[in-house]
Amino acid sequence: MKETRLGEFEEVILLLVGILDKEAYAFKIAEEFEGQTKRSVSIGAVHSTLTRLAEKGFLDSKMGESSAERGGRRKRIYEITASGKRALETSRDFKVSLWNQFPAFAGNKLNFL
Amino acid sequence: MPPTLAVRVLEWFIKDELAEEVLGDLDEKFYSTQKVKTTTHAKINYWYQVLNYMRPFAVKNYRSNSNKYIMYKHNIKIAYRHLLKNKGYSFINIFSLTIGIAACMAIFLFIKDETSFDQFHSKKDNIYRLDEVQNFTGTKEQKVALSMPGMGPQMLNDFPEVINYSRYHIQGKRYFSKGEMGLTIDKVFLVDSTFLDVFDFELITGDRATALNEPDNILLTQETALKFFNTYEEATGSTIDMGERSMKIAGILKDVPENSHMQFDALGSITSVTNENPDFNDQWGSNFLNTYLLLEDNVNIAALEAKFDDFLVRHMGEDSNDREVLDYYQLFLQPLTEVHLASSDIEHDYNNYRKFNGSYISTFALVGIFILVIASINFMNLTMARASHRWKEIGVRKAVGSLKGQLFNQFIMESVLFSVFALILAFIINLAFLPFLNDAIGRQLSLGYFIESPLSILVVIIGAILLGFITGLYPALYMTAFNVVSILKGNKTKGNKSYFRSALVVLQFGLALAMIVSTFIVLQQLNFMQNKDVGFTTDKIVLVDLNREANDNFEVMKNELLELASIEGVTASGQRLGNNFHQWGFKVKTDTGIYSMTPSNVFVEHDYLDVYGITVKDGRGFSKDVSTDEGLAYVINEALAEELNLKNPVGTPAAHSWFPDDSLGSIIGVTENFNFNSLHHRVNTLAISVHSDWGYDEMSVKIKGDNVQQAITQIENVWDRHVKEWPFDYTFLDQHFATLYESDSQMSSVVSIITVMAILIACMGLFGLSSIMISRKIKEVGIRKTLGASVSQIVFLLSKNFLTLIIIAFAIVSPITYFVMEGWLQNFSFKIDVNILLFVLGGLISIAIALATISYHTIKASRSNPVDALRYE
Repeated sequence: MKETRLGEFEEVILLLVGILDKEAYAFKIAEEFEGQTKRSVSIGAVHSTLTRLAEKGFLDSKMGESSAERGGRRKRIYEITASGKRALETSRDFKVSLWNQFPAFAGNKLNFL
Repeated sequence: MPPTLAVRVLEWFIKDELAEEVLGDLDEKFYSTQKVKTTTHAKINYWYQVLNYMRPFAVKNYRSNSNKYIMYKHNIKIAYRHLLKNKGYSFINIFSLTIGIAACMAIFLFIKDETSFDQFHSKKDNIYRLDEVQNFTGTKEQKVALSMPGMGPQMLNDFPEVINYSRYHIQGKRYFSKGEMGLTIDKVFLVDSTFLDVFDFELITGDRATALNEPDNILLTQETALKFFNTYEEATGSTIDMGERSMKIAGILKDVPENSHMQFDALGSITSVTNENPDFNDQWGSNFLNTYLLLEDNVNIAALEAKFDDFLVRHMGEDSNDREVLDYYQLFLQPLTEVHLASSDIEHDYNNYRKFNGSYISTFALVGIFILVIASINFMNLTMARASHRWKEIGVRKAVGSLKGQLFNQFIMESVLFSVFALILAFIINLAFLPFLNDAIGRQLSLGYFIESPLSILVVIIGAILLGFITGLYPALYMTAFNVVSILKGNKTKGNKSYFRSALVVLQFGLALAMIVSTFIVLQQLNFMQNKDVGFTTDKIVLVDLNREANDNFEVMKNELLELASIEGVTASGQRLGNNFHQWGFKVKTDTGIYSMTPSNVFVEHDYLDVYGITVKDGRGFSKDVSTDEGLAYVINEALAEELNLKNPVGTPAAHSWFPDDSLGSIIGVTENFNFNSLHHRVNTLAISVHSDWGYDEMSVKIKGDNVQQAITQIENVWDRHVKEWPFDYTFLDQHFATLYESDSQMSSVVSIITVMAILIACMGLFGLSSIMISRKIKEVGIRKTLGASVSQIVFLLSKNFLTLIIIAFAIVSPITYFVMEGWLQNFSFKIDVNILLFVLGGLISIAIALATISYHTIKASRSNPVDALRYE
């Protein structure tokens, strides 16, 4: 079986794909990542992660349209698969359960749902 | 537009199926960056993005069907298989090369470190140190690093070539205090305001131009400042007390680099002295500071030096015809960059950190190259010797159509791979062993040099490839030259006479032998110096710094200390044993008149000779009971007595040169010659006198019994009761003597390390060669065994050749080593005689090592079953 756990960077990228929806291609994802996290990242790094996520079956992709500022080249649009969604949920549930076991927060009924 | 070259690079390596989307994304990135920033930014970013696409997922799998590519892959595979198939030989081959490269690297770093001294001053090529040649009666002619206070200022006046100067006036250890906090700071100097103009020592805070202009201004190094203050800013502008003087901290100096011959903790302005004593700038006669001159570009040094004689006459003579001063003094200039490496013959060189004898540099370089050459030849030799096992391979390759060039490429590639591999291993070895080496030789060598300078690492890598190429060249030519038919037919090639290999064994074992003997001699000399009777006791003597207050209370302290059971004796002196004592004038009155000379001098306390156990062979030592013993009595050493050439020196009227001729004291005793200077130097003439009013520098306390720690605590208690202004600061005399011979013991470590390496390399070379030579004789051994030869006869037969070679090596190398080591021993006035037996011992050791090395093969061969050897006939 393929490795199906999510790394931190992978998780963020996966979520960003979901957020960007129809605009989810490498350049936009990298921009969005930099905007949201204030961390700089190269497109290559994002692309490599996208490829890895696709290999794990969390993402699907197809070629989209082209535009002028891309020199007439098409872009590859990514889309979360059902197993990708499941992986995200598992990851979130796991963290929430950890938070709930954390005594300092458990009392406050801190809830992420 | 995105940079075309970057686009091309990307297109070259990126997978075809990714090219469209990636190029598109990068274009978008480019234009969006261009909008918010400049085009240049966008271009740089484009390159950054392209380089970041060099990831496994995006890079084309390079699959080519070109023959060349396939052959390269094939060659690497074959090389790897050979490496694994003959693990033993591969190990010897690579490891000996590794040791060679590692040694070369370490030696390179060492030389780099030594030659980097004082190179960081931007005006280094125009800075010179003013040195003197002194020639006083009673003292041999000597070069000294010292000069007179008037020389710098007057040279600036007199010579247009001199555009600046700075004096460097040693203050020694000083007591600094700030409020409650008080510490002695070791290296305090007074310098001219121009010091920072001449030299490039970095200033962190404060103004370079004016920092040293005012009296009582002081600059502290970072390390010193942080002892008293929390931050540099807080320190700057504050005051700090140096003894009784209040000093203003005008700035903070960056800590002095390790590779500076000047090392200081604090620099004060020399105006503190010149303000109180304006004549200081025109003061002549006594030499106690260093003077550095900054000259104009392209000054003819010899021409300038030629003018120094008149300069001395002008300033020190009675009139222009009084040239007597030249009998005693000559001046010369020493380039700043040579101070570290070319001062080994200069005495009274107090401010020359880690002074090193530069002539060793070329020796080390030579040894490094030598080791690398031998390792390379070993490598070549073993490769060639192994060729016999690859004849079939070569033959088959040729038969199926391999060109000479292709075979040649294959062998070259193999050796390049090996040498690159060896380079990597060498790095690892140095990484592991440099700390130990640094410990042994007191240096701070680091591989960081290669990392800091990418150029040098490139040079090293190219060097390793080149080394592989060169060492592979001959074996490759040798192996490709065989005639295919004769190889496949099974005719072993003839020729192959092993003169070359024999010479190699001679060379390697000669080197190993030379190193073994040299190590013996160096260790013996060190041992000799450590155990030589220097004429006084160095054991259990504690030296304590004295300041003015401690001097005032000296008698009280001494009496209290002497009451303690753990103290055997207490005395004091103006200078410490183990260095040359200061030299000044001394005169005696004989029947023919006043005779003057300049011996070494030391002033001591009455009990000095007793406490140190210095033997008075004629007359008597100092006594408290004789009032004239204070200041008017002299004890001289035998060397001075001989120099004076008096029938009966005791009782002869004598005094320091500045005493009037009609009020001389007298010589009261003559001591045996004792080695007050290090054993590198002969015993100079010496006059000892008592001057308690001059202020002693150090108290010497001799401890009785074994509980040294307790005794020190007791001394400290006494000290604390009587001395408030100066901390109790002590060292042991034997430790001080150990530091005198530090560079010699470092030398011995280096020699020992090189010896071990030389032996290792020689052994590995011999191990490989013997296996090959013996494997050729395996049939001979088989026949002999069937005819009834015993194991020992065969071992002897097989070892005989090697023994002959080692004896030849012995004959060639012994005389060379003898002369080289005699030369080294010339550095010492007190030295051992080279014992010829050491050579015999070294020879026996190398024979034993050689026999042990080859025994593996000889015994294996001689015990093998002759059937195995002869079966295929």
